[in-house]
Amino acid sequence: MNLRQATSKGIGDHRSYGMAVISFLTRYYIQFLLILSVLILGALNPYFRSPANLQNILLQASFAGIGAAGMTLLIVSGAFDLSVAGLLGLCGVMICQLLPSLGTVLTILITLFLGVLLGLLNGLVVTKLRIPAFIATLGMMNIYLALAFIWTQGSRVISVSAPGFDTLGTGMFGALPVPFLVMILTYLVCYGILNGSIYGRCLRAVGSSEIAARTAGLPVDLIRILAFAIVGGCTALAGVFLTAELSSASAIMATGYELTVIAVVVLGGTSLKGGEGTLSGSFTGALFFAVISTALNILNVGAYWQYVVTGVFLITALGVQALRTYVLGAE
Amino acid sequence: MSNFRRLPSVRTIFELSHATRLVQVAESLGVFVLLVIVVVGASILAPGFFTYTNLTNTLITASITAVTGLGMTFAIAMGGFDLSVGSIQVLTAIVAAGLLSIVDPALAILGALLTGLAIGLWNGILISKLRLPAFVVTFGMMSVVRGIALLVTQGQSVMITNHIEFGLLNNGKIFGLPVPFLIMIAVFILLSLLLKHTPFGRHTCAIGGNRSAAVASGINIDRVTISVFGLVGVTAAISGVMLASQLMIVDATLGVGFELQAITVSVLGGTSLSGGHGNLVGTVFAALLLATIASALNILKVIPFYQYLALGVLLIFALAIDTARRAFIAKSLLSRA
Repeated sequence: MNLRQATSKGIGDHRSYGMAVISFLTRYYIQFLLILSVLILGALNPYFRSPANLQNILLQASFAGIGAAGMTLLIVSGAFDLSVAGLLGLCGVMICQLLPSLGTVLTILITLFLGVLLGLLNGLVVTKLRIPAFIATLGMMNIYLALAFIWTQGSRVISVSAPGFDTLGTGMFGALPVPFLVMILTYLVCYGILNGSIYGRCLRAVGSSEIAARTAGLPVDLIRILAFAIVGGCTALAGVFLTAELSSASAIMATGYELTVIAVVVLGGTSLKGGEGTLSGSFTGALFFAVISTALNILNVGAYWQYVVTGVFLITALGVQALRTYVLGAE
Repeated sequence: MSNFRRLPSVRTIFELSHATRLVQVAESLGVFVLLVIVVVGASILAPGFFTYTNLTNTLITASITAVTGLGMTFAIAMGGFDLSVGSIQVLTAIVAAGLLSIVDPALAILGALLTGLAIGLWNGILISKLRLPAFVVTFGMMSVVRGIALLVTQGQSVMITNHIEFGLLNNGKIFGLPVPFLIMIAVFILLSLLLKHTPFGRHTCAIGGNRSAAVASGINIDRVTISVFGLVGVTAAISGVMLASQLMIVDATLGVGFELQAITVSVLGGTSLSGGHGNLVGTVFAALLLATIASALNILKVIPFYQYLALGVLLIFALAIDTARRAFIAKSLLSRA
């Protein structure tokens, strides 16, 4: 809020060139932070700037990134979905069970269909039974996890291998990993939905004020249900690539995925209050997470220290942004 | 909230406010009704549920969750929440267990509580002074504090060998009631007074209800925010001490997912995540409800995977019934008005 006011003020007044630069920097803060950290790490460590490592970062970013694209739309509509970790596990397990008999294309189509269907179910539970999204999706996560557990007879890891399918996880298209390309496509589609369609405007309206949207005659429930379905579809898509990359799946393959995805979206600059959101922020946020975790591994930071450093980085990333805004506001 | 779709005419305002109060009472009782149903059901279906030993264990489990849930209710009433409580719980349990080998129990407990308070205050300072979103701050701190817990213990378990009397915090009984339950009741009474009868409590709800209005009316938002997160830290630390006394051996992998449990009991108990009011009674009943369900499923020897399924279905079923009941009450009261 502060940020937006400050930014529009800076641009609107044309007070000074410096002011415009600062407001630009503040607006695209997370993007600059990403570039800066990549440049510094690349200068410090030769392995970090190697193509193999950069490709690995893009690959790692795409799993949380694809999920975060859908989640951004849902958060804009003023809700969020905690069930994605269970949903992803269930999709992974299903891929492993179906792939040997059905073949790659059919399996993926069925998985995506299942993702959208379960997303719709989440949306129905939240809107039609009028249960708070937090509890409803937490309950659904337990149900999906249980189904995946039952299907695999426990937390067993099932391996899967098919030439065409493995390419999805490890293949390259030019210099870019296939999952990363799909992530870019996902963001383009979601950007089109959020910023270029009537539905996107409805999402923002519902997120800004549910009561106003209802009064204006918008089908609030339907809009939210569709947003949940989009999240389900995106999560299933991420599940396809994660399973292909790991060549295996288990019910608990994505533990903690829900909080990571929401953190990526919030780090990108989308407020949990709903009403507005930035997909380019979520995209960058996903890359930023991947850069941090890869850098910590390359720099040989101990496993225990990684928890501490990741947390500090996350808070600092937002903290510097807040300081900039504060300075901007004071000027 | 959205209970009143059709706006009432002006002359029904008085009846409406009366009705709203009735709905509020019904809301706070809502989880209680469910709890009674589940307890009765469990007693009939699961022989061995309604025994003194099992009820005591269920009460202890519920109390540990409820204490943090009560603190969390304040954070949610203020329009935020705290994801770091699971990590605070495990770190303070480790601090308490570690200090017990050096100092006497009272000081060890004090050390744990101060640790929780410090982390909570730090959360609050980051959120209020830097105006960072609570989600990311507490998510980051969840990672930091878990890392510190791992570093302190180097991944090893800490066992409490001397000061066996520390275990009385868990095993002790006063008038037949387990001590953890009494601790929870004490925290509940204290926080209820704080929420309903002090400016601090009213300011907490005011900030959650309408932040701009709270600023305009001169409430010191930063101070309230810092205090609330400090309070959450302390309650998580109390849960940590209770956990340490229950297990007598702690390690840094405990308390994963505790943050979601604490938020769940708060929301299930009727505190809306949109902020503005807190339902402490509901939080306690919801914690008892979840512990009862878990205990019954254990006694019935339900396989762990099916326990997930049952918990998920029950959560959604419970809330769906609750919503329907509230809608019914609101409708019948409105039609009378």
